[in-house]
Amino acid sequence: MAVNPTFRTPVIARPTPELKEKLEEMWKDEHTLYGWLSTVDHKKIGHRYLVTAMIFLVMGGLEALAMRLQLAQPDEHLLSPELYNQFFSMHGMTMIFLYSLPILSGFSNYLWPLILGTRDMAFPRLNAFTYWVFLLAGIFLYIGFWEGKGTDVGWFNYVPLASRPYNPDWNVDIYSLGMVFLGVSTTAGAINFMATAFRTRAPGMTISRVPIMIWGTLVSNIGLLFAVPAVSLDFFMLWCDRQFGTHFFDPSMGGHPLLWQHLFWIFGHPWVYAIVLPAMSIVSQALPVYCRRPLVAHSAVVLATILTMVLGFGVWVHHMFSTGLPVVAMGFFSAASFVIVIPSAVSVFAWVATIWTGRPVFTTAFKFFAAEIVLFVIGGVSGFMTAAVPLDWQLTDTYFVVAHIHYVLIGINVFPVIGGLYHWFPKMSGKMLSEKLGWWNFWLMFIGFNVGFFPMHISGLAGMPRRIYTYPASMGWGDLNLITTIGAFIFAIGVLVFVVNVIVTLLAGRKAPANPWDADSLEWATESPPPSYNFAVIPRVGSLHPLWESRLGEQGGRSILEEGPVLDHEHEIPGTTVLDAEPDVILKQPHPTLAPLILALLIAGTFVGMLMSMWWVALGCMCAMVPALFYWFWPRRATGWEMRA
Amino acid sequence: MNTVYEERTLPRPLPVGKAGFRTSGWWGMLALIGAEASLFAYMLFSYFYLQSLSTQPWPPSGLPPLRYAAPGTVALLISAGTMWWSRRSIMLGKPPQLTIGLVVTLLLGVLYVILQFLDWRAEPFLPSSDAHGSLFYIITAAHVLHAIAGVLILIAMAVWNALGHISAQRYVAITVAAMYWYFLVLVWIAIFITLYLLPYISPH
Repeated sequence: MAVNPTFRTPVIARPTPELKEKLEEMWKDEHTLYGWLSTVDHKKIGHRYLVTAMIFLVMGGLEALAMRLQLAQPDEHLLSPELYNQFFSMHGMTMIFLYSLPILSGFSNYLWPLILGTRDMAFPRLNAFTYWVFLLAGIFLYIGFWEGKGTDVGWFNYVPLASRPYNPDWNVDIYSLGMVFLGVSTTAGAINFMATAFRTRAPGMTISRVPIMIWGTLVSNIGLLFAVPAVSLDFFMLWCDRQFGTHFFDPSMGGHPLLWQHLFWIFGHPWVYAIVLPAMSIVSQALPVYCRRPLVAHSAVVLATILTMVLGFGVWVHHMFSTGLPVVAMGFFSAASFVIVIPSAVSVFAWVATIWTGRPVFTTAFKFFAAEIVLFVIGGVSGFMTAAVPLDWQLTDTYFVVAHIHYVLIGINVFPVIGGLYHWFPKMSGKMLSEKLGWWNFWLMFIGFNVGFFPMHISGLAGMPRRIYTYPASMGWGDLNLITTIGAFIFAIGVLVFVVNVIVTLLAGRKAPANPWDADSLEWATESPPPSYNFAVIPRVGSLHPLWESRLGEQGGRSILEEGPVLDHEHEIPGTTVLDAEPDVILKQPHPTLAPLILALLIAGTFVGMLMSMWWVALGCMCAMVPALFYWFWPRRATGWEMRA
Repeated sequence: MNTVYEERTLPRPLPVGKAGFRTSGWWGMLALIGAEASLFAYMLFSYFYLQSLSTQPWPPSGLPPLRYAAPGTVALLISAGTMWWSRRSIMLGKPPQLTIGLVVTLLLGVLYVILQFLDWRAEPFLPSSDAHGSLFYIITAAHVLHAIAGVLILIAMAVWNALGHISAQRYVAITVAAMYWYFLVLVWIAIFITLYLLPYISPH
């Protein structure tokens, strides 16, 4: 007979040294290779995401610097046209897919359980799996580049240029399969974030007490769930066209090249919001800390975030205004692209009002966040300028668009990320980053960025097309390009200062207290760096700002942090209801396991087999996934299955 | 202590392990279905998009025969019913009935897969014939792959039930597996109507 579910009333107690010791023993990983490969600790996975994505940022940056040297003067010959094509394609692919979302996943993986007042994500093994797949897909996407066969038709990879007759070598095959591979990681991560937000918040963290940082990532990941399949399908169909002679994009046999563009941008535009909304929510979470007051209009910012993501699915055609679509379609999508400005701008007004009515403390993190507001406005304005069809026809495929995309992606992604690292580095490492180096870091990056990218607006208006490997002196673009190259190098030195700051701090930084910035959210309630179990007793949340309740007066409830439910039977966390966060179950979370790594390696094997046309390898790896998945999901008492008595 | 406890966070007996209805697995499966449903929606979008641009008759190489797809559809529709019956059995505390129900459901799934292989052999076009053929095969092949995954899930459920891991108190795994199975059947209905039935009634 099966055993009935056991019920337990969690003991409410204060944390004792014995309890902490017991939990540490239970949650820590072994200091062995096995421990390193099998960990499911969200903090370690978050670290890995952050480090890997920063490495990709540096690689993409070096590619960009090589291109800037090539373009610094007319008629340069540093890079051949073929190599230049690979550099701009790899740069775009790296920055968009291997840096900008993974770095945000790093923040979220590390911070979510801490902010939510719990001990791990809803699916810790899936979390490890998403990292391994991301890492292997990143390596996969780069294998061609070392052989001189990197993808070379731009990150948006338009057919027919990307089809077999015009691109016979491996370049695009690697990109196509690599993107399908990477999509597995993105989708699995999105599933995990959604389940975590709806299931594992600390008791009492009702939907109205969910911090803004969670909202940005949650909304963006729900968007990704619906957007990523479009691009995976698109790349898979392209690979079939190239490999098996199907005709999805071949107009002579009933296909159509615009199908590629539709599916790509149905994914592509929501993706843009998916990589800026979490970064904006970093600003919304951390900027108010340095203004010594809560974010102005929290609810409006949350609703605007949701609305931006929803509308983000209805503007993709503005990437295709020059492809000869019907006027009605262009009118609709142009209007939609103007409308999305409204919810996007709500955050800007909220941030400005927060600074205006607060008492700003000018730390490095604050400077990065404040700069983000400025760059967001510039990038936003150049964005809705090109939402107007006639202007878009004039500016499309010029450096004006290059300026726009960099103001948006560096302005709203890189600046909040670096600011966010200054903010959370003490929590992650237990050391304070140097503010002195931070001053240099910020001003070099801010000045270098604007010197580098603002002139691109002008060279674009002067008619300089994007993706050209050189230009004749008679065009008169030489001076602008020289300024851009100088700015790019100043920006790169700024990034280098950041890397130096991190290394110096790790070696000899000042020790960080639990809450160095006197911030309001739960991650600051535990030690820096947090113990493996995050919280010795589970906090109970009574307001949106658990650590600021004493000074915010009588509004809102009271959180209880100093004592709480003791969950000390293996890996336990409370499961709570979706709206009211009432505890309704004690969840049993899995222990470290190699299953995620094994499965990720088998998927990698499948894709390598497909790339090399070694069909038996691909099929063999696919079949091996079945026992691997059975092993992963096998019922264990430790994960809360019932056992035959 | 004069701290005011909110009533909802008061200590009370809580089930330990897999319990309740909206479990982590339930949310995970819901999200997975959202992503998979989008994948099929984008495939059908591509189909309708290329059909709308086609200057030739659609489908260009002849109508897909119904002699395998129609019985396959019936098999899947019945399997949705047996899946529902299986879950109900365990809710009523009858593990042996659950095993029977799961085995019948997965055999119906296998029957559908076999019929679909026969259907591919009977089609008047190949993936490389034209864009319609390419879309027809990628959509049906994607569904067959998902159905094979569904059958494997049902095998796992039957094994775990036989080993006594599932009971009237804890049948979350069955709920989640059933969600996936219903999704498979629903998507197939959309595919069957689009790929097999519409060509017969639309002018071509």
